[in-house]
Amino acid sequence: MLTLIVFLPLLGAATIALLPKGRPEWPKWVAAAFSAVDLALVAWVVYRFVPGGGRQFAEKMAWIPQFHISYSMAVDGISLPMLVLSALLTFLAVVASWKIDSKPKFYFAMLLLLQVGTNGVFLALDFVLFYVFWELVLIPMYFLIAQWGGPRREYAAIKFFLYTLLGSVFMLVGIVMLYLKTGTFDMIRLAAIGHLLPAGLQWWLFLLFFLGFAVKVPMWPLHTWLPDAHVEAPTAASAILAGTLLKMGTYGFLRVSLPILPAGFLAWQWFIALLAMISIVYGAAVAFAQTDIKKLVAYSSVSHMGFAMLGIAAANVIGIDGAVAVSFSHGLVAGMLFLMVGMIYDRAHTRQISELSGLAAQMPVIAGLLAFASFASLGIPGLSGFVGEFLALLGAWGSNLPQWMVFVSALGVLFGAAYMLWMIQRVIMGTPSHVIADCPDATPREIFVVAPLIILIVAVGLNWNLLLNYVDPAARSLVKLMGV
Amino acid sequence: MNWLLAIPALPAFAFIAMVALPRRVRNNILWLPIGAIVGATALSWAAFAQVWPGGGELTSVAWNYSWVLGVVGGRPFELGLQLDAIGAILLVTVTFVATCVQIYSLGYMHNDERIGWYYAVLSLFTSAMLGLVLADNLLLAFVTWELMGLCSYLLIGFWYQLEAPRKASQKAFLVTRVGDLGFLFALMVIYKAIGTWELTDVLSSIPTWAPGVATAAAIGLLIAAMGKSAQVPLHVWLPDAMAGPTPASALIHAATMVAAGVYLVARMMPVFLAAPAVLQATLIIGSITAIVGGLLAAVQHDVKKVLAYSTISQLGLMFMALGAASVGAALFHLVTHAFFKSLLFLGAGVIIHSAKTQDMREMGGLRKYMPITWITFLIGSLALAGVMPLSGFFSKDEILAVMLHGHNYWAFGVVIAASLITAFYMTRLYFRVFEGPEQDEHLHEGHISMTAPMVALAAVTCVIGFSSVRFAEFLGHEGEWPSLMLIAISAAVAVVGIGSGWWVYGRRSVVVNTRVYKDRLGLAYGALTQKLYFDAAYEILFIKPFIFFAGLLAIFDSSVIDGIVNGVARGWIRVSSVSWTFDGIVIDGAVNGIATLSRQAGTSLRKLQSGRLQSYQRLVLSALVVLMVCLVIYVVVKGA
Repeated sequence: MLTLIVFLPLLGAATIALLPKGRPEWPKWVAAAFSAVDLALVAWVVYRFVPGGGRQFAEKMAWIPQFHISYSMAVDGISLPMLVLSALLTFLAVVASWKIDSKPKFYFAMLLLLQVGTNGVFLALDFVLFYVFWELVLIPMYFLIAQWGGPRREYAAIKFFLYTLLGSVFMLVGIVMLYLKTGTFDMIRLAAIGHLLPAGLQWWLFLLFFLGFAVKVPMWPLHTWLPDAHVEAPTAASAILAGTLLKMGTYGFLRVSLPILPAGFLAWQWFIALLAMISIVYGAAVAFAQTDIKKLVAYSSVSHMGFAMLGIAAANVIGIDGAVAVSFSHGLVAGMLFLMVGMIYDRAHTRQISELSGLAAQMPVIAGLLAFASFASLGIPGLSGFVGEFLALLGAWGSNLPQWMVFVSALGVLFGAAYMLWMIQRVIMGTPSHVIADCPDATPREIFVVAPLIILIVAVGLNWNLLLNYVDPAARSLVKLMGV
Repeated sequence: MNWLLAIPALPAFAFIAMVALPRRVRNNILWLPIGAIVGATALSWAAFAQVWPGGGELTSVAWNYSWVLGVVGGRPFELGLQLDAIGAILLVTVTFVATCVQIYSLGYMHNDERIGWYYAVLSLFTSAMLGLVLADNLLLAFVTWELMGLCSYLLIGFWYQLEAPRKASQKAFLVTRVGDLGFLFALMVIYKAIGTWELTDVLSSIPTWAPGVATAAAIGLLIAAMGKSAQVPLHVWLPDAMAGPTPASALIHAATMVAAGVYLVARMMPVFLAAPAVLQATLIIGSITAIVGGLLAAVQHDVKKVLAYSTISQLGLMFMALGAASVGAALFHLVTHAFFKSLLFLGAGVIIHSAKTQDMREMGGLRKYMPITWITFLIGSLALAGVMPLSGFFSKDEILAVMLHGHNYWAFGVVIAASLITAFYMTRLYFRVFEGPEQDEHLHEGHISMTAPMVALAAVTCVIGFSSVRFAEFLGHEGEWPSLMLIAISAAVAVVGIGSGWWVYGRRSVVVNTRVYKDRLGLAYGALTQKLYFDAAYEILFIKPFIFFAGLLAIFDSSVIDGIVNGVARGWIRVSSVSWTFDGIVIDGAVNGIATLSRQAGTSLRKLQSGRLQSYQRLVLSALVVLMVCLVIYVVVKGA
């Protein structure tokens, strides 16, 4: 089942590649069909998943037995929400890209290929497999930015590629070292025996993995690839980048760093919390100063993902629940924000906040949706953004982390409201500026794209259990495994 | 028994239905939110009847209904509703005022093309407020607390195309969110201490708390309450919030949401009792707010701003009562104030509609043209000024009695002073608006949908004061009628305040020139017209520095951090080309693999100058492979 979920998009990409050239309308329909079926399969997995039942849908077979490399996949309460994000956002990205007319074959094949990577990362339980998917993600995203991006797309694409590849090189070293020490690539086995490794080695290994994951999250000060990549990427790629790719970082911490290297984590815990705190406040402050609305959203990602890292640094059940909830919610909310920004850019042909004004009067539906996403982002209770940030702070407060760090991090809640409301004040309110004069409001297709996100944002916000039912048992067993 | 849930759920349903429908439909089904609030009102009275005759412990739970929001760490976060005497009183107060405001808005907002949205937000607000009143735990209280803040934001910014509402809405949200951080802090402190937010568990477990927990929690709650209830120094958002529609101001920024802070402290009073220093701080903050609000009200020219500062001042009085640990007096003033202040706001709405201005210097002689507004507004003013036998007299008297019994003589003096100022500025307002030379404008009385709610509120204002003893007993306190001495003092204060107001503004029937008085006050008057420099100070101390540092950080981010990234990349390109030369000459074929990769990198570098993308890619790849190999060798050697 999981194999099908992971590789169905690959089949889709291959199908698209075989399509005749003279039919530019066909690739998107094929992509939509394949991603929709994939989403349906994921929905079926969610339906059949037993909350609290540990790893499920496991598949395991020998792959390269000489090196003890196996093909091993399963889904648990932490990877399930990420898998949902990956499948959902890919499908929505395809629909959101309906108007792409430059090289549609290549474009939609890349979107599907990207999904192979993201699905795979969240399901793989063998380090080699994990690493293959991890790197696989880079290539389609690189092309999506470099081919369909904005004016500085080449710089942004290379920077994204280089930066994350650099990070994953350290991770690869860590994987190889772990293998040399333990003789296995099996992540489950490693989680069971990892704590036996000497603390000094764990310290080194944690650092290596940290570099790989922290770039992806991204944590301050390794974040500067993100604003460039986001701003230059086409709308759909931005949504996936924020919605799925960043989550690979937090997921890596939860799947690898914490369970396998508990002593290493403890040694670095304080440092991670510090960086998380800086990310939260710094990201929010820099977001406040942005003049480009897309860059504002990009820096808000730095801030919000800081909350996820704070929850991880807390390393208690509440904090980890919070970290997963932040990741999931940020995937929905930031995804939606980028889609909204894309809709605005399609019409106004500018993202400069100073040029946009009075959206509410000209396009009330788009303005309303943007406002909704902004409120979800700044953590209004009843919407999903509140759940994770609240739990992350609560978990951090209850942990052994210094309380002043939690204090400072909580200021992010205030700053987060500041930059979002200021953006609303300038962009949505006021009288319409000339760049949006005569711009049409949202089309049914555009509303269809964001509707599932809205439903999930509200549903998770009102019933945390929709998410925590799956996450909480997994978080509990993770904390138990760490023994801290 | 589950119908308790229907009280907040009815308006919430109205909100959902209204939002889901397109604007044209939404604007034509205003009976839906009004029907919902009328239903909630009826149920509130039914709930009130269940608690009647009251008299038990404050925290006694009549009903409990709860659902699980989420299971965290194996423990459920339960949200539940409960009903007790405090809740029952607030239920009927909130629903009554909300009904009046919704009916009134039919007339006041009927020309607005977004009236449906207005009603939707009003309904969501009412639902959140009722949820707060019924919340049996602090988490639900926090959720509804924040939702009220959102609704307040949306309503202040309702006329978003105008400058003032845009700025005011943001300011209101951010200033109250400073308070919300206090709430968040209290939540964290309490959860860490006892692992639950259930009100009954929290309040009953206080004796077992570690030292300092109660103080920390009380500080957080106090800050939260100060933000919502506009206490100095977090009061600055409320006057600006008057940029919203007047009926919304009447409901949210006069009667209900701003009183939520008082309600929160009243609910959590046992925590404050365990933290006497914070209780004392509540008293002091309330005192400062009562005086500052009153003084600022006295120099405003905008009718709504006079009322807004008056609200701040009156909330200060409630905080004083809380600081003296008298929940009964605070809540009674909350209730009476809710009625007469929303009455005054609704009256101000009619006045503004008719006079086409909010500046009372441009008004005058409205009495003849709008008799109903005149009489009801007069009742509200006199109640606010504490004139017997209107409701404000009784509730203010109770606060005075509390101070006297507690031997808080300075606080007693503060209440007297605040009452004096109140009587003065209300007299000023009255004479400016209703008496004096007639304004040159087509003046007319408000529509019946607007005057009827005012009459209802005025009627309540006339009679509710007499319930003061029963009110106290209902809450489980001993009630007593005001002593003769207090009546005398109150009367004297009212006479002096109204008299001096009349002396300045009412004596002559020509346009009053108050320049002489202003000059005599000199600097003090100047400071008051500058709102005592609160806004200016925040601008210099917080807003400007924040914007400055945010800008600085943005520059730092793009030049320093990103500069390092780009510099490292550039440096790496150079290093790899040097190492290629080095390898080529010195090590030669010894490390063939690495050399090959490096050479590729070097070749790519040369191609890079021609700007070809693919060569750069290959360069990056090969450079990374080299790095990777080096690292593996290094770490494995080190690890082994």
